This record gives sequence, structure tokens and C-alpha cells, in this order.
Amino acid sequence: MTAPSDAGEALAQALTAEYAAIWAYGPIGVRLSGAERKAAATAEAAHRGRRDALVVQLSNGGGSIPPDRAGYALPFPVTDRASALRLAVQVEERTAAFWRAVLPTSAGAERDRALAALVEYAVRATRWRRSAGISPLTVAFPGRPG
Amino acid sequence: MVFTCPVVMGRTTRRNGTSEISRRAVLGVGALLALGGAAAPLTGCGLLDRDEPPAPDPLAPMIDEALRLAAGLRAAAGTHPDLADRLTPLAEAHEAHAAELARVTGTALPSEPAAPSGAPEADKAATLTALRQAERTGRDAASKACAEAPADRVALLGSITAARASHLEALK
Repeated sequence: MTAPSDAGEALAQALTAEYAAIWAYGPIGVRLSGAERKAAATAEAAHRGRRDALVVQLSNGGGSIPPDRAGYALPFPVTDRASALRLAVQVEERTAAFWRAVLPTSAGAERDRALAALVEYAVRATRWRRSAGISPLTVAFPGRPG
Repeated sequence: MVFTCPVVMGRTTRRNGTSEISRRAVLGVGALLALGGAAAPLTGCGLLDRDEPPAPDPLAPMIDEALRLAAGLRAAAGTHPDLADRLTPLAEAHEAHAAELARVTGTALPSEPAAPSGAPEADKAATLTALRQAERTGRDAASKACAEAPADRVALLGSITAARASHLEALK
């Protein structure tokens, strides 16, 4: 992830992260059941909501809208519940990082929205870590690269 | 310094001889804090202000707050050793925040360990409730600082806000 140089680029990068997150929740959801599958559907809906808002915002701003892809490479195969939960943690951590990168180029309501996304995804990563039995449940600097 | 001038001028003396800061001056201080680091490049403007101490960094109180949150978690872990595995990583995160805030503000961390704001409750559920309340207050303060921060500090404050919010979740 390279640091975006302006607001349009930061938002475009966040949009590509949201595309990938939505795609990843497909294979995640099918490996989960019950409350966890429901939580995955809720998470996916949140990423769809942010994707839609970004598309509108970038269109209104006259910026270029990066296209969605047919598929995204997963960091590891998702074959069971454990790997699905691990991927869900990574998806939330990764999208949180892209929204964190929006903060320096934003102000006012746009900054509030970026912070809300960073906070929401960090909290959701914590919930997925709990489901996965990962300890500790939190990281010191959510969204910070490295 | 432009923004501190009204503060000094606003100092009034009451008839009974006690000095107080006028309401207008207090509002001036609030405005100064609200402007945060954005005001920093505008300071040092006047020859007449040479005797003024430098304005405290708006993030300085956040260092104390982070250390207080850490101290509260460590005290609770001492009272309830079975919670230590959960609480210690959260305390370490607050200490890492304090160290990073000290670095960006160019301040030294206090050598004395911070005192927690209150003794941990004997009851475990009450302890967790109190810790959650402290994290909630800390999250809201960090969120406010994030909204007002200059570009070079906002990402750190965003991470601190998100960390405190995730602590709330971890303390459930």
C-alpha cells in the first residue's frame, strides 16, 4: 500500500479495498454458519454501503473511478471455518488501513466518515479475532502499515 | 502569539482583589485548543510576547490520559489476576500510544508512573464496567482530537481512537 498523494487517490484506493473486501466475504460466508454467517453478511453489507457511497462521491468529484475486478487473489486458501475467520480478520484490518490513509487528505464530514470506517473495521476485526480464538483481541495501532 | 493575546488582556481583577480569567478569555483558550496544531505555525509573531511561555501542545493531555488508562488496566489486572491475559495487552497498547504521542509532540514521558483514576472494584463485573467507561471516554476524546488534528497527526489519532473502540469490544 503506497501513501496516497491526494484526496481523490486516497478515496480511489479505499474503493478498491472495499471491492476486494466484498469479494472476499463470498468465500468467507460459505464456510461459516449461524451467528457467524450472519455477522459476515452484516460486514459485507457495510463494505457494500461504503463502496456505493465512494462511487457516488468520486463521480460527483469528477475523479476517475477504479473498476471492480472479476476476482481477487486470496492471501491463503479458504477451506474451512478457521481459515474463513482468519481471512475475515485480515479483510477488516486491510480495509481499516485504507480508510486510515484517507484521514490526512480529508477534513470535516469526509474525515468523520473515514474515521468511522477505520473504527468500525477495527472493532469488527476484534470480533472476528474473538470468534477465531486469536489472542490478543486487539492491535495497538489499527490500520497502521507494517 | 496571536491567539494568546486575548487571554492575557482578558485577565480581570475583582473588587475583592482576587484575580480571575474572564469568560471571554476562557473561550479564547478553548479556541486555541480547538485550533490545535493548526495554530502552531502562526505563533511567535510578536516582539511583545517574548515573555509568554510556549503554548502547550494540544496533544500533551492525551499522553497523561493514555498513561492513566494503562494504569487503570494494570491495577485491575493486579486485583483480578484471572483477567490479566485480557487486560495486559490493552495496557501495553495505551503505553505504546503514550510513547508515540510523546515522540510526535517532542515531550518526555513522565518518569513517575501514572495513578489510575480510582481503585479497581472488588467485583469483576464492576471492574470491567468501569474499564469500559474509561475506554469510552478516551475514545471520544481521541475522536475529537482526530477531527481537529493537522494532517501529520491525524492518522495516529485515528489509530488511537480505533484502538480504544476495539478495547471496548475486548472488555465485553
